[in-house]
Amino acid sequence: MSGDVEPGGPEREDTDLEESLRRAAQLFDPVPVSLMEVAVEAFRFRTVDAELAELTFDSLAGAAAVRGPAQARVLGFGGPGAGLDLEITAAGASLRVVGQVTPPAHVVVEVRGDAPVSVGTDAFGRFTVDRVPPGPLSFRCRVGDAVFTTEWVTV
Amino acid sequence: MDIDSTGALFQAAAKGDASAWEALVGRLSPLVWSVVRAHRLIDADAHEVFQTTWFRLADNLTRIKEPDKIGAWLASTARHECLKVIRGSRRVVPTSDIDVLSPEADDRSPEQAVLDAEESAGREATLRKVWQAYEQLSENCRRLLRVLMASPPPSYAEVAAGLGMAIGSIGPTRGRCLGQLRRLLA
Repeated sequence: MSGDVEPGGPEREDTDLEESLRRAAQLFDPVPVSLMEVAVEAFRFRTVDAELAELTFDSLAGAAAVRGPAQARVLGFGGPGAGLDLEITAAGASLRVVGQVTPPAHVVVEVRGDAPVSVGTDAFGRFTVDRVPPGPLSFRCRVGDAVFTTEWVTV
Repeated sequence: MDIDSTGALFQAAAKGDASAWEALVGRLSPLVWSVVRAHRLIDADAHEVFQTTWFRLADNLTRIKEPDKIGAWLASTARHECLKVIRGSRRVVPTSDIDVLSPEADDRSPEQAVLDAEESAGREATLRKVWQAYEQLSENCRRLLRVLMASPPPSYAEVAAGLGMAIGSIGPTRGRCLGQLRRLLA
């Protein structure tokens, strides 16, 4: 606490009240321990070798984004020389992901998230993954000599 | 390890130091959680956004150019994910449903357990009144104060990044909202 704040002044009262709120939040709405553990774990699963394909399109981004429950979330990721387009739809409690790798090729796509799985694409780079649980999702694939990983998104 | 600055922790983590990463998670999780809570998502969405935010940071460890602004980076990332989740589903918690006054006993941090043990019944009752009064504030005030409640206290740059607010408007809004809270408690 800085010494030039007059004790009992309005600034001091605000500081004290904010500190009470901070204590109340620690007591009544703390960060769940299980979440902290997941965040610590993330370090082991980070990508160090792959190019990061940035999110270049998201149907939920921007002011015009409107989506009903039945509509698809459309995502586009782009990296140096390769990209990935995705359409995500709800199928019951889980999700169906339909994607295409560009340039089109037979590749293996690895789904990172709560239920990691690998799928092969067809000759046009297309693939479908069913029963993807909602949550953080990222994709990793090898196109030629390059490996790229997409940014994480919440689906 | 004795690294004081968040920037130094980040740089150590970027070089592969797992304990620095863990310290970073410990220090900045309350900020990320506060930003997510300020957006009042339902619990499942709040948990997912929190995880996505940290997963993104992990994948961006060697790519981020301003280690000293990592708190603002996390706050901004969490905010943008919250906004997308809200746009995608509009599943937002009504005020009365966020009654997290009794967190699950098995999901408490060690600090939390110590805090609980140390809190006298009277002190806890006082904090509960403060928390309940906070819940009665306007949406704008709840948003701002929830982020300011992060521990350690966030910088105004971090608050601005987490709420998409101008830094200059934080101080006056904070004063007004704390004034409203004080009147509710009077």
